[in-house]
Amino acid sequence: MTLTIVKNATCTFCGCVCDDIELHADSERIVKTKGACSLGEAWFRNHTAEHLYPDALIDGHPATVDDAVERAAEIMHRANMPLVYGLSNITCEAQREAVTLAEMAGAIIDSHTSL
Amino acid sequence: MIYWGGNPAECHPRHFTKYTIMQKGKFVPNGRKGRTMVLVDIRETPSAKAADLFLQIRPGKDFEVLTILRALIKNQRVDSRIAEETGLTLEQLQNLVDRMKNARFGIIFFGMGLSMTRGKHMNSAGVLMLAAEMNAYTKFVAMPMRGHGNVTGSDMVLRWSTGYPFGVNLCRGYPRFNPGEFSTVDLLVRGDIDAALILGADPGATMPQPGIDHLARIPTIVLDPKVTHTSRLARVHITTAATGISAPGTVYRMDEIPLPLRPALKSPYPTDEEVIRRIRELVAKKPAWNETTNGELATV
Ligand code: SF4
Repeated sequence: MTLTIVKNATCTFCGCVCDDIELHADSERIVKTKGACSLGEAWFRNHTAEHLYPDALIDGHPATVDDAVERAAEIMHRANMPLVYGLSNITCEAQREAVTLAEMAGAIIDSHTSL
Repeated sequence: MIYWGGNPAECHPRHFTKYTIMQKGKFVPNGRKGRTMVLVDIRETPSAKAADLFLQIRPGKDFEVLTILRALIKNQRVDSRIAEETGLTLEQLQNLVDRMKNARFGIIFFGMGLSMTRGKHMNSAGVLMLAAEMNAYTKFVAMPMRGHGNVTGSDMVLRWSTGYPFGVNLCRGYPRFNPGEFSTVDLLVRGDIDAALILGADPGATMPQPGIDHLARIPTIVLDPKVTHTSRLARVHITTAATGISAPGTVYRMDEIPLPLRPALKSPYPTDEEVIRRIRELVAKKPAWNETTNGELATV
């Protein structure tokens, strides 16, 4: 099996965001990391491209992403004062989407910074 | 270089070597030898080994130490008995002030040991004031040691889009900012909110119990690469690709430098960006908020 080698990959486990890491990956998992610290290495190895979890859950039951998105939109729309929280482990592009959604839904938006 | 209330040796392992004390710089050609590192903490962590000076203060006394330092840099008189309540002597504090003033460029990295203990926001404000006031004598800055990968990014995105870094309330159609009122812990514990969208976080494992109970009571939506504690008490969970591993995009380093991600894997799940955009597009199609159609969450 050939390995994909990604040079200067970025680790997002901690706020250092080291961007000089070399990753060797097959189609499912990262088999080798160069340059990362022990926390970073554990982080890279811990995530795989396997289908380990159901695509979505509604009330605890497996569901399709389409239905889950529909339900989520309904909840956000109905709420009088929803909260959008987290943001710290997602990309800036996703954060921007979250801000737009929060504005539309009249939400409070907050991150781990407030802790 | 002052590290305050943080343990980078264990929590940010490459901070010393990649960014701070070990690097050689234009004005610090000798790297580690050209720098002084001070660690301020309530107990001796493995980071103390890397420090030239370790100052052990009493738990919960950060604000007092900061205030005394701010007085000392302005040559104001401080009662030695007051100083001793912090666990340090007046001489130790004066010595730190002298070192700070003698530095050509100083920095205070402050961790959660400062910002999450007694005093909280006031402690962070104290550190920032101290660094600002030091600029009357030499160049000085302060920077928080960020835990999560892109928490700096969320500060940046919220700042450029709403004007405030976190805890922004948009429910009146314009942004309002008030930490303590609009921060998640307080909102949850008081039970103020009537729905929650949790993005890559697990408050169901970390919040105080009354907050967790409230999350279980209201409709909660979770987007996460794993099924988390919060997913288990949520009405909706959507699995997403892991940031940086299988989801591309941009993240900010803690010194506010944006860096591109280079994912090595292809995920079977959609990215957070994609899912949030789809939710947003659906919300956009619905009629605007009004009192008769909204506010009846029990029926959702
Ligand atoms: S490699 Fe280590 S120090 Fe660098 S971002 Fe990852 S966890 Fe942090």
